[in-house]
Amino acid sequence: MSADARQDFALAFLSILFEGAPFILLGTLISGFLDIYLPPGAMDRLLPKNRTLAVVVAGLLGAVFPVCECAVVPVIRRLVGKGLPVSCALTYMLAAPIVNPITALSTWKAFQGQLPAVMTGSRLLLGFLIAVSVGLITARLSKKTILKPSLAASLDAAESPPPSSAKCGDHDHTDDCCGHDHGHEHQHDCGCHDHGCGCHSHEGGDGRLTAAFRSALKDFVDVGVYFSIGVAITALFNTGIAPGAKWLDSVAANPTAAPAALMALAFILSLCSTSDAFIAATLAKFSWAAKLAFLTFGPMMDVKLIFLYQSVLNKRFIVTLGVGLFLAIGGLSLLWQYLVVSHFLP
Amino acid sequence: MNPRARRILFSLAVLVWSGVMLYFHASGRINRYLAPDFRPLVLMGGLGLAVLGLFNLLTAGQSAACDHDHGPDGVSHDHESSDLHPLLAFALMVVPVLCATAWTRDEFSAASLARKGLYDSPGDLQTSLIVNIPPLTRELIAQRYPATPDGYHPLSLIELFFATGDREMQGVLEGLKVETEGRWMEERANNPNGTRKRLYRLFLTCCIADSRAIPIVLEYGKQPPEYPENDWVKVAGTMKFQMEDGALQAVLHVDRTLAADPPYEETFLRKNHMLPR
Repeated sequence: MSADARQDFALAFLSILFEGAPFILLGTLISGFLDIYLPPGAMDRLLPKNRTLAVVVAGLLGAVFPVCECAVVPVIRRLVGKGLPVSCALTYMLAAPIVNPITALSTWKAFQGQLPAVMTGSRLLLGFLIAVSVGLITARLSKKTILKPSLAASLDAAESPPPSSAKCGDHDHTDDCCGHDHGHEHQHDCGCHDHGCGCHSHEGGDGRLTAAFRSALKDFVDVGVYFSIGVAITALFNTGIAPGAKWLDSVAANPTAAPAALMALAFILSLCSTSDAFIAATLAKFSWAAKLAFLTFGPMMDVKLIFLYQSVLNKRFIVTLGVGLFLAIGGLSLLWQYLVVSHFLP
Repeated sequence: MNPRARRILFSLAVLVWSGVMLYFHASGRINRYLAPDFRPLVLMGGLGLAVLGLFNLLTAGQSAACDHDHGPDGVSHDHESSDLHPLLAFALMVVPVLCATAWTRDEFSAASLARKGLYDSPGDLQTSLIVNIPPLTRELIAQRYPATPDGYHPLSLIELFFATGDREMQGVLEGLKVETEGRWMEERANNPNGTRKRLYRLFLTCCIADSRAIPIVLEYGKQPPEYPENDWVKVAGTMKFQMEDGALQAVLHVDRTLAADPPYEETFLRKNHMLPR
């Protein structure tokens, strides 16, 4: 790389990094504290009994419990284990990284001067509609079709009625000691029993605060690594250093290929939803539809999520989900450009 | 790697990001990277990362319990495990940031500026920016931009540039003696005798990566003076709008050129010139 190219790369890299890092920090601090302090039953209690309504509400839970796509997978894994319907868990998993206040704020900030209200509103709405659609479809499928075999088997086992006098040492799990389900999926580090709502804490608040900060640190590093790689690749294209920059420019000019290209880029870059808008906003040569597709598809399906999803979902379902999301988001983005954007731009 | 070493490593990575962000903010260099409303966020983000990094560094050896259930098989139990090796994660976070900090000169090269519209036709640039320039008349110019002792009205380069897309503005500015400032660059097109240069400033939306170059042509009619590329200059001359290669160009026929200090805000800001529609 020549000295000029290094200088250009460094300038673009640092500017995008400075812009996005504060939003990643905010997102990971919240997810870190939710991870430690949120009682496992909190979400279940917010969902209506009606299955369809429950899926719709699950699509909005990100507004109350904002987490990015990396943090959401362990959360839904835990919730599914605690008996949350799989359709609701999937809806929350796909919607929460987009339909949440941090993502809305970062999208709004990143698109200042580029139809911020239209882009933010459309991103949230499309993310919500897609997630709820997936939830409603999966509500008709069996657990075995969706979940990985070991998880589906453990849920089936948990659903079989327990002996009426189930005891764990001298602690009765059938008692409702603090109003929360203590469950039976414990196998905790300490080797004793499930800690459920926290009423059996072995440590005081300081331990949980430390654990929350550690969780936030881990989340920040996990997201920061992918963000750093994504920003580096974007900076190379932004300044024309990357070998494919001219090819990408030519794809950008094609209205149908552009959304597909940016969804592929989102898949590869694996950016966090709290900061991906800062990348999308710099892709000046791409259409609005391509940017919307990038912002909606990325938080739902990318390289890193493929690995994370495998801890909950079975492989065939992941592939079907990926293809379905690609086609649905690409098609709806093009329709949106045709119906909506034409009203805001000459 | 044991958990304590991993926490120390991750804390250091976060502290490196924090240090770089706080350094750029404290030194004022951040002004060249981000629009004003993003700059306080860098300060807050840098301080927040310092707290996160220091807290975890100082408590790296302590035990901590989260007090809750961890799922059906206990695998998702650990709140700190990652899918990347800690050393690789550390390197991926720290190396690019440190390299970029060492390499940056806080400005783009000519090659990158060409990608950002430095040599594009004014019409192409104007359709990609949604800009609101208030209308001007000769009376308003005389009132708002009083002439210098030698008769030049100090106008912003963005007003001269966007006049190419506004017939009324062209009528007002055509033949007017104006003074403006910007960065010095070579002229590539329509310059067979080497009598031309280009003057530009960047138009910033959020960060320098999404900026666009706003240029006008400088015509000297003779050999232009020599300045290094990207240096700030103040030029004065007569404004003309000329059709060149099928596009209208803003051309300043220069009478005098002086080296200048960069203004406090080197870029044009979306906040002042752009209205969402």
